[in-house]
Amino acid sequence: MVRFVTIFLLVLIGLFTLEMVEPVHQSVVVPFTNMLAWLSAALITPFDDSVIFYGKILQDAGSGFAVSIESGCNGVEATIVLVAAVVAFPAPWRSRVMAIVIGFLAVQVMNLGRIISLYYLGQWNFEVFTWVHLYLWPVLIMLDVLIVFMLYLRYLSNQAIDGDLPA
Amino acid sequence: MTEQSELPRFVGMVLVLLIPSFVLWMLISPWLAGPAVWVCDALFTLWMPEVVDSVQLRGTQALVMTLYGELDGAVVTAAQAGSQMGFPVDVRLLSYSIPFYAALHFSTPQSGGFSSFGWGLWVLYPLIILGLVCVCLKNLMMGLGVPFFAQSAAFVPSGHAIGLVYQLSILIVPPLAPILLWAWQARETPLLKQFSRTSSTGPKIPE
Repeated sequence: MVRFVTIFLLVLIGLFTLEMVEPVHQSVVVPFTNMLAWLSAALITPFDDSVIFYGKILQDAGSGFAVSIESGCNGVEATIVLVAAVVAFPAPWRSRVMAIVIGFLAVQVMNLGRIISLYYLGQWNFEVFTWVHLYLWPVLIMLDVLIVFMLYLRYLSNQAIDGDLPA
Repeated sequence: MTEQSELPRFVGMVLVLLIPSFVLWMLISPWLAGPAVWVCDALFTLWMPEVVDSVQLRGTQALVMTLYGELDGAVVTAAQAGSQMGFPVDVRLLSYSIPFYAALHFSTPQSGGFSSFGWGLWVLYPLIILGLVCVCLKNLMMGLGVPFFAQSAAFVPSGHAIGLVYQLSILIVPPLAPILLWAWQARETPLLKQFSRTSSTGPKIPE
């Protein structure tokens, strides 16, 4: 447990610091965040053609209401937490990579749900939007990370019992 | 109950318990904010007496009152400006870790009940205070600029360090600390015991 926590915290702080380095932020995080805005707009458009996007901003052309996807809302930090947990837990590297890829997708699917829900909540009631945005969604996203990690541990447990862990 | 069915039951319970936990937290959040704000008031008035006048509790907010004001867009002393600049911080941005921790804790049978929950709060609350200090530092840095870094009697961390600890305090610690704390306290419960067996088989797993 102590070894896990130590490696987990080291990887977490290391990746988090790397994310904040300006060249990394500009060349990786910003384009990724812009892609999330595009993807959110692409998912909304078939049902609601009033949505427009530019950069990291999603806007309703009718009301003018807009949401800007900032740090903490792009799922990068949640992914970093998942990566740190998976790397810190002893397992074959193939399993770790698989967990990171699937976990990343699980976090981002949930995160798209967050962005789209906030986009509509903000147009409905700004007070509810603020509350859900600041307090509820961070909890749900981190719970998502926890569930993914526990499912990964269960997978490892089953593999160990079956004795067919990949080399 | 089988180990396989423990996880869905746990997740369902967490989602259900989040509702009363958040409702209760909303009701008591001004009281939760109080001690953290008082600690920050004592700390900042001792640490940075050249820039901080006081840190006051306003509902669920900490209001950092400075000894500076604004005149024609420039930061000047409060005496020159005739008013004081204050920076509000919503303490709930940090204290929402408590209802999350409560939902995790009480969703796990045999995790120690109210007494271990109380111990958990003793661990979480200092993190809330630390987070509040980091947010106040960031607000002072961004709001005051030069006078903040020019303090002669106080150690002032670098802008990069403040930026990093601020981001960690806001984005990572409030949602993550409850999980780490819960995992430590519930490590002997059947839910987590099954995974520690995975860990104990570690040497058999090729690296």
